[in-house]
Amino acid sequence: MPREEVSQEDLHALGVDLARDFPGSTAADFRRYPVLSEGGWFIAVKHQRTLESVAREPGPLLGPIILASDGLDVN
Amino acid sequence: MTVSLKDLDDGQFTERYGADRFTATVLASRMRYIVQHMCTGLLNNAFSLILRDWYDFAATISGPPEQNYPMSSVSNSLAMFLGTMSEAVRNTVEEYGPENLRPGDVVICNDPYRAGNHVNDICFIRPVFAGDRLISFVTLRAHQLDMGGVVPAGFSGTKRNVYENGLVIAPTLLYRDNKPIKSAFNLIFDNARYCALLLPDIKTIYANLLLGEQLILESVERYGVEAYLGAIRYSTDVSAEAMRTALAELPDGVYEAEEGIDCDGIDDTVDYRIKVKITKSGPRMELDFSGTSPQARTSINAGILDTKTAVGVALKFLIDPATPFTSGAYRDIDIVLPAGTFISATPPDGAVFLYWESTGPVLLAVFRALEKALGRKAVGGDYGSLNIHNANGVLEDGTPWVTTAQCGGEHGPWGATEAGDADSYSVVYQANNLDPATEAIESELPAVVLRKEYTPDSGGAGTNRGGAAVLKDTLYLTAAEHWSSPLHTKSPSGLGVYGGKSGGLGATWVFHADRGDVVRRKELIGTTDEVYAEATPVAGMLNPDTKCIDPDGKYFYFASTPVWHTKPHAVFRYLTNGGGGWGDPTERDPERVKKDVRDEYVTIEGAYRDYGVVITGDPLTDPEGLQVDEAATRKRRAEMAAR
Repeated sequence: MPREEVSQEDLHALGVDLARDFPGSTAADFRRYPVLSEGGWFIAVKHQRTLESVAREPGPLLGPIILASDGLDVN
Repeated sequence: MTVSLKDLDDGQFTERYGADRFTATVLASRMRYIVQHMCTGLLNNAFSLILRDWYDFAATISGPPEQNYPMSSVSNSLAMFLGTMSEAVRNTVEEYGPENLRPGDVVICNDPYRAGNHVNDICFIRPVFAGDRLISFVTLRAHQLDMGGVVPAGFSGTKRNVYENGLVIAPTLLYRDNKPIKSAFNLIFDNARYCALLLPDIKTIYANLLLGEQLILESVERYGVEAYLGAIRYSTDVSAEAMRTALAELPDGVYEAEEGIDCDGIDDTVDYRIKVKITKSGPRMELDFSGTSPQARTSINAGILDTKTAVGVALKFLIDPATPFTSGAYRDIDIVLPAGTFISATPPDGAVFLYWESTGPVLLAVFRALEKALGRKAVGGDYGSLNIHNANGVLEDGTPWVTTAQCGGEHGPWGATEAGDADSYSVVYQANNLDPATEAIESELPAVVLRKEYTPDSGGAGTNRGGAAVLKDTLYLTAAEHWSSPLHTKSPSGLGVYGGKSGGLGATWVFHADRGDVVRRKELIGTTDEVYAEATPVAGMLNPDTKCIDPDGKYFYFASTPVWHTKPHAVFRYLTNGGGGWGDPTERDPERVKKDVRDEYVTIEGAYRDYGVVITGDPLTDPEGLQVDEAATRKRRAEMAAR
C-alpha cells in the first residue's frame, strides 16, 4: 500500500510542532495512508516510529472497495 | 495522558458517561444479556440445520449515527460475524440513509463487500427509537441455508464471480411499520432454495429483533436515554482500554510472517500468500498486509472486513481474552490493506464465499509473527480449515435433501498453550459454534456417520500437547453430488510454539461403493495404511502409490473434480490437521505421556519418537498396565538432547 510523503507545511497545518511534539523527528518520519480501525476507514497521517496519528479524517465508507453499482445514476 | 477507567472519580465518570459507574455497569451487563437472549430465542426456534445445529448466527447492539455506530455488545457466538457487524450496521444504515428510518423498520444487507462474510449471512438490522430519537440498533446476522447461486447451499470454493455466488442484497427494507414488505421477501424467495425453512426462520429472527428492542426500551425507560448512550460508550471504552493495556505489555518492534492457502478452485498453479508486517509501538499496533497475493479466481476469497475480524480474533486470543469483543477493541489497532488481494477481494470477479479459509491464515500469520515476542504466552495453531462438505440429492419419493457443514471435517483440534494440552474437538479459532449431533444428521439425511474419532500421533508434540486430528467417515445412502473444500493440506496449520512441534497434516478421500461397499460388507473401513489403496484422493499431500499421507508426497488438488457425483453407499473420509504443541516435548512428564498412550492420543512408537519416553505394555489389551521405563527414557532423552 503506497504511503504518501507529508511536508512540513502539511504538519504545520495540522497543528504539529515537531520540536515540541516529536523531538528529533522531521517531516520525513510521517506518512499519509488509509487505515481500517474502530469506526471504519480513515485517511491517517501517522508518525511512523511511534504510530501516533496527527490526523485521522474519515475515509470512504467502504475504503478502497469499488462496487459494480458505484457511480450509477438512476435519475 | 489517558486516565484509566477505574481511576476516574465519581464526578468524572458521571460527566463522561451520563450515568454513575454502577448504572453504566448495570446497563452494559444488561446489553450483553439482551444479545444473548436474542440468540437463545433464535436457537430454540430455528428450523434450518445451520442455525439450529450449528449456531451460525450472532447478535449485536450498536449505538446511533452521532456516535458513529459503536458496537457495544456482542453475543457469545460466531466470532467471524462479530468483527464485521460493526461496519455492516454502519455501511448498511449510511447507504440506506438514517434519515429514512422510522420505528417498525427492519433493514437487511448481505453483500460481502459492504457488510462482510458471505451472501448467505444476512444482516437483519432493527433501528431502536426512544420516541422520535434514533438511539440504537439491534442486529442479528444469521446464515440462510441457501441464497441462490450455482451451488445448492452455497459452500464451494469453485464459484468464479458474484453472479455464480448467489443473490446480493444491497441495503433493503424488509419490514416497515412492523409489516413485512412483500417485494423484499419475493426478492429472496424467488432466488433462494429451501424456502420452507427460510421463511419461519426469518420470522423468528424478526421476533427476536423485537425482543431486543423491547428490552432496550425497558432499560431506557428506567435509566434514561443519556445513561443508555453513555453505557454504549463505556462498554466500548472498556474493550479499548483492555486491548491498549495488553498491547503496551508486548515488546515494541517489527514482526513479520507469511502464511498461505493451498490453491483456488481453477487449478493448483497459483500460490496464494499472505504477508503481514506488524509494527508495535507503545500501546499502538499497525498490521500492514501489503504484498499479499492478488485475489483468487474463485470463491475462496475473503473480504476486507473478514480480515479485520481475523486480526481482532487473533489479538483477543493472544493478549486480551478476558473482555468482550466490542468495536472498541480496534481503537489502537490500524489495519493497512490494499483492495484486490485474496483477503480483500473486490466485485464482480473476486467472489467471496469460503472467506474463513483465507482469513484463517491471517490469524495464523499473526500468531506466527508474534510467537517470539509472546514467549510463554504463545498459542499453538489449530486445524486450520473447516473442510466443509456440501452435498445434496433426492430421496426415492422425490424429496430433495441437503447437507452442509455437517459431514466433512468441520470440527477439530486447537493448539496447546502454557495452560495445558489443547482440546481436540472444537471449531476453528475464528468460529464458536455447535457440533451438529449425529442423531440430528441421521434423522434428517440419507447419511450415516460411521466414524468420528481422534487419530493417534496427530497432535503436535510438546510439553503441552496439541489437540488430536479428527477422522470422520460418512456413508451416503443415495446417489449424491458433493462439493468438498479442504484448503489447508499442504503445510501444517497446527503451528507448534515455544519449542513445541507442529500438528500433522490432514487429507480427504472418497471410497466409492464399487471399491468396497461397507453396507454389503457390513464392516467399517479400517484406519490402517492399506485401506487407502481402495480410496480416491480428494485433497492432501499423499503418496501417489499408497494414497497415504506423506508430507513429501504429491499434492492432490481439491477441485480436480469440482463436483463429486457418487452412487449410493459412497463414503467420504475427512482427516483434519492436528493442533500445534507448546513447549519442548522432552520436558513433558513421562507419566502424562503414558496417560496419552493409554488414551490413544499417542502410540508407544510416537512416545519414543516424539517425546523420548519408553513405554512398555499394550494400550489395547491392558491399558492400565502400561509402564514407563525410566532408565530407557533417560537414555533416549539424553540422545535426543545431544542431537
